[in-house]
Amino acid sequence: MDKYDVIVIGAGNGGLGAACRILNEGKTCLVCEKHNIPGGFATSFVRGRFEFEASLHEFNGIGTPEEPGSTRILFEELGVADKIEWIQLKDAYHLISEAEGYDFVMPFGREAFARANNQLHPDGEKYVNEFFDLCQQIRDAMAYIGETKGRPDPAVMMEKYPDYLACGSYSVNEAFEALGYPKEIVDNLNTYWCYLGADGNNLSFLHYANMIYSYFTKGATIPKYRSHELSLAFEERIHELGGDIWFNSEVVKILTDEEGHVCGVRLKEGREIESRHVIANCSPHVVYGKLMDSDAVPERALKLTNFRKLAGRGFTVFLGISKSAEELGLKDHNYFIYDTADSVKQYESMKTIGNTAAQATVCLNNADPDCSPEGTCIIYMTTLFTDDAWSSVGKEDYFKTKNKVAADMIARFEKATGVSIHDHIEEIAIATPETYARYCGHPQGTVYGYESQYYDGLMNRIQMVEEDRFVPGLRIGGGYGERLLGFPSSYKSGVNEARRTLRDMEKEGR
Amino acid sequence: MAFKRSNVPGEDIKLAMGMTAERRRLIDETPAAPLVYEYGVNRLAKALHPGFVKAVIAEKTPCSADCVKIGLVPAASGSGAKTAGGGIEPAGGGDPAREGESACGGEFPYFRAGQFITLSCRAGESFLSRPYSIISSPKEALAGSLEIMVQRKGIFSTFLIDEAPAGTELWVGEPSGDFHHDSIRDRNHILAIAGGSGVTPFLSMMKAIREGSEDFRLTLVYGARTKAHIPFDPEDFIGEAAGKGAEKGVNIVVVLSEEEAEGFRHGFITADLLKEYIDDDTSVFMCGPDAMYRFVQDELNSLGFDSSKIRQERNSVGDRKVSEIKLYKLTVHIRDVVYELEASNNETLITALERAGIPAVVRCRNGSCGFCHSRVVDGEYFIDSKDDFRRAADKKFNYIHPCSTYPESDMEIDIPIMNP
Repeated sequence: MDKYDVIVIGAGNGGLGAACRILNEGKTCLVCEKHNIPGGFATSFVRGRFEFEASLHEFNGIGTPEEPGSTRILFEELGVADKIEWIQLKDAYHLISEAEGYDFVMPFGREAFARANNQLHPDGEKYVNEFFDLCQQIRDAMAYIGETKGRPDPAVMMEKYPDYLACGSYSVNEAFEALGYPKEIVDNLNTYWCYLGADGNNLSFLHYANMIYSYFTKGATIPKYRSHELSLAFEERIHELGGDIWFNSEVVKILTDEEGHVCGVRLKEGREIESRHVIANCSPHVVYGKLMDSDAVPERALKLTNFRKLAGRGFTVFLGISKSAEELGLKDHNYFIYDTADSVKQYESMKTIGNTAAQATVCLNNADPDCSPEGTCIIYMTTLFTDDAWSSVGKEDYFKTKNKVAADMIARFEKATGVSIHDHIEEIAIATPETYARYCGHPQGTVYGYESQYYDGLMNRIQMVEEDRFVPGLRIGGGYGERLLGFPSSYKSGVNEARRTLRDMEKEGR
Repeated sequence: MAFKRSNVPGEDIKLAMGMTAERRRLIDETPAAPLVYEYGVNRLAKALHPGFVKAVIAEKTPCSADCVKIGLVPAASGSGAKTAGGGIEPAGGGDPAREGESACGGEFPYFRAGQFITLSCRAGESFLSRPYSIISSPKEALAGSLEIMVQRKGIFSTFLIDEAPAGTELWVGEPSGDFHHDSIRDRNHILAIAGGSGVTPFLSMMKAIREGSEDFRLTLVYGARTKAHIPFDPEDFIGEAAGKGAEKGVNIVVVLSEEEAEGFRHGFITADLLKEYIDDDTSVFMCGPDAMYRFVQDELNSLGFDSSKIRQERNSVGDRKVSEIKLYKLTVHIRDVVYELEASNNETLITALERAGIPAVVRCRNGSCGFCHSRVVDGEYFIDSKDDFRRAADKKFNYIHPCSTYPESDMEIDIPIMNP
C-alpha cells in the first residue's frame, strides 16, 4: 500500500505511542524508522554475556497496579500495559556530593522521604512536608488547567491555587530562595536536576517540582527486560492493530501540496508514500531544516526553532563487571555522584570535555539480581554535556577522547564509593554524543530535546502548543514536544499529537 | 507562602500570567535564519558510521597456499564500475538520483584496529554478504585504502578469489565489532593468538601501533601447518624494513605444526609456550578456527589465566549437522513485499535468503551484532545457545537474528530491508 491515513516518522517513544493511538481509532498508519529496531533511545544492546540498557535509569509514572500512575493508565489505554513486566525500585537514590560531604541514601515514599531529611537538618521533615503540600497544589492546579482544556476560571485559580500562580514565573533557585529552606534540604531536593538537565537558575520551578513530587510519592520502576521490552511491546501492539512498521526506512522528505498541506513522505531510496497527516518523532531542527523544502517552511517555524536551546548531549559508560555487586560492596541501584550540589556550577563545568562534574550511575543488579550471569554485574554511568564540546573532536582523537572521559568517570565513581571496579571490567561500551547522533539523528547528539528554559518550560509549551505548529497536516511529538524530555513525557507527547491529528482529521472530514 | 519578587501586590501572579506573551515576543525577535541541524558531532558520526558505501576491487594478491589479499578503493561517483551480477539489487541501488551519494569522499571510515567490514554483492543467482577483518591500519583507511584477507572456504570467498576481477563493485559495510584493544577493558599487553586468516585483525593492530593510532604492546603467536601456510611476512612487522617493530612492543612467534624451520617454533600453541609470553599486564585475544579456541582455552585454563581477560573473535555460524535434511517453506516479508522460498533445516535462514537472491541485511553472521534483527510471525526454529546473543525481550516477543537461526518448520518472518 502506498497510502496511509497517518505516517509516523521515527519509531522512538513518541512515534510508537502516536501510532498506537492512531490505530486504536481504526485509521491506517505506517511508521518509518531509519534504524533496524524500534525505540530510539529506548533500547538495549548485547556485549558478550551482558545485555545493557541503553538509556533508562528509572521510569516514573507507572506506580503499582493498585495505585497506577498516569503512564500506566496511558499504557492500559494503548493496550501495551499487559505486555510489560515492571520491577519496583526500593530506594530513590544514593547521593554523594564532594564539596558538601554528602553521602546518604534517600527512600521513595512521601513520608519516608520527608522523615529521612531529618538526618540532614533537625526540621528537615517539616520543610519537606511543606514543600510537598506546595507540590500537591501545583499538581492539582495543572490537573484543573487540563480539565478546562487550558481555559481555567481565574477566580477558581486565585481561590484554590494561589501558590501555583505565585510561583509560576520562578526558577528552581528563585523558588527555593523564596521558601527559605536550609541549604542541606535545598541541596537534597535539587538532586534530580540532571534528569531535566537545565540548571536551577533557568529551570522552571513548576516543572521541576511536579517531576520530583511524582518521583518521591509514586516511586519508580524499570522494565524487567530493559527498555527494549517497552519498544517491542509497542511494536507488537502496532502489528495487532494492523499497523505497519518499516525499518531501515529513513524519511528524507516531507511532501506538501500547493496549499502547503502535508501530502506524503519520500523515503531514502526514492519511494513516495501518500498521506495527509505526518507525525514526526524527531527534532524540529531536522523537520524544518532538513526534511522540508525551505519554501514550505513558514517563517515563524524558523523563528521558534532558532529561539530554542538544544539540551544535554549524552555520554554513557556501560560496564559488564566480572564480580557481583555484593562482592564489590555496591548496595544501591541509583547513585548520583556530584562535585557540588550547586546545579549552576555543575552545568557550567559540563560545558567542556575534561570535567565530569556529575554522574548518574546505576548498578542494575541491585534492582534486578537476574539481569546478568551469576558472579557478574552491570554498571552504567551517565553524564551530560551542556554545550557542543564534542563537535570539535576529530576522527583520529575520537576513540582516545571517549576512553579518557570514561576512565575519569570510573575513577570518580571508585573514589566516591570506595569500590574498586576497574580491574574487573569484562565488557565496555561507551556512548558519546556522536553515538546518540548516529542512532537518533539529533543535532549535537542531544538526548534531552530542547532545554527546559525559563521561557520554554513545561507550562509555556503546553499553553502555546497550537500556536507552535505551522504546517497543516504536520505535528511533532516525542522528546522535543510540549512535555519535554523523559520516557513518560515522550510517550505522552506522541499520544497527544496523535489525538490532535485525529481531531484534525475529524475536522477535515466535516 | 513566601513567593514575592516585588512588593507590589499581585505582581508575581501577573508575571506568571504574562510568561506566554513574553515567550511570544522573544520568538518574534528571533531571526528566521536557516536552521543548522548538522554539527561537528553529526558529521563525525556520519564519517565513522556511513552505513554501506560502494567500493571497487583494486587488486588481488595471493599471500599463502589458500589466502588472497584483496585491496579495495572507494568507488568514484558515477564510475561505471562493473557491478557483479544483476537482478534484485538493494533498495535504491539503481536509482540514478542517488548516484554518487554512497561514495565516501575518497576515504574509508577511520576505525579501531581489529574491526571488520561486511562485503555484499550479487554472485550468480545469490546476493551474498560476508564479514572480513581489515588488514589495513586506521590511517590507511583514511587515505582511501582498505585491504582484507580472504581464505578459500565457501561460495563467497571462491567468488572473490576466482570470479571477481579488479574493478568489480561491492557494497562495503562500515567497520564494526568490539575485537579491538580497549585501554579501559584490556591490559596493556595483548597476547594475540591466531590461525589461518585469523591473523588479519592483528596485522591491522601491529600497523596501528607502528603508526601511533594505537598504544599497547602486542605479541602475536601464530599457528600454521607449514611456512607455505603463513599469509603474512613477519619481517614486514618486526624486521628492519618495519623500522621499530620491537621497540614499539611488537613481537611475532610463528609455531609450525608440520615443518621444522629455523626461526620458527615447532609444535602446537601449548601452555608451556604461552606462559613465556604472559606477564602480569596481559590480556589474550584469539582469532582463528573454533578448534583452535577449544585447544588454547584449555591450555590457558591450565595456567589459571583469568577468563574475563580472554576475548575470542566469533566465527560465522555455518551449516549444522541434522539426522535428516528437511526442506521447509519460508515466507518472507520485506516491507509490503512477500517472498516465498525454500529453507533447509541444516542451513541458517540467512543462507536460504541469500540463495534465493534476496538482498537481506546481515553484518557479523555469528549471531552477535543484531543487524539482521527480524520478527518471527510464525514457525519453529533452533538457535544454538552459544550463538544466541539476542536481547531478553527479543526472546519474549519472538525476534531472531536470521544469521544464527535454523528453521524447524515452515516459517514466516518479517525482515528489515537492505537499504544502503
